Amino acid sequence: MADVATPKKTPTDFLNVILGQSVVVKLNSGIVYKGVLACLDGYMNIALEQTEEYANGQLKNKYGDAFIRGNNVLYISATE
Amino acid sequence: MASQLLPLELIDKCIGSKIWVIMRSDREFVGTLSGFDDYVNMVLENVTEFEQTPEGSRKNHLEQILLNGNNICMLVPGGEGPQ
Repeated sequence: MADVATPKKTPTDFLNVILGQSVVVKLNSGIVYKGVLACLDGYMNIALEQTEEYANGQLKNKYGDAFIRGNNVLYISATE
Repeated sequence: MASQLLPLELIDKCIGSKIWVIMRSDREFVGTLSGFDDYVNMVLENVTEFEQTPEGSRKNHLEQILLNGNNICMLVPGGEGPQ
């Protein structure tokens, strides 16, 4: 079903693309972190820079650097 | 002779088309499947996130996400999401 317009893009491909970009990370608890993706590993452990913490859509906190343990991650989203 | 189709082969056939992802919690995603890995972590595009809360259903649009496979319960190929 895959055609030329939608080439296969595995999780690894996606991560290589968004490294260093602005991302949104949502945890299973519903808390959202926005920041610049500094690095990550196969466990989805994540290091973010210029991090903003949102709960219920409201800004709760800011961190220069933040480490998120991968088991809590629901999704990582690229932002434009 | 009936040919066998493995579960992940079915998902592989869905690449490039819409898929409905139902999580273990009260959360669902609908989007176009770009790819996935052995853990069924998935890359989705043009995603709508549906969340059931006591106040009702909440929708959220996302351009492109990497969804952690850990909490996925069910995948519905071609699914349009909850109505």
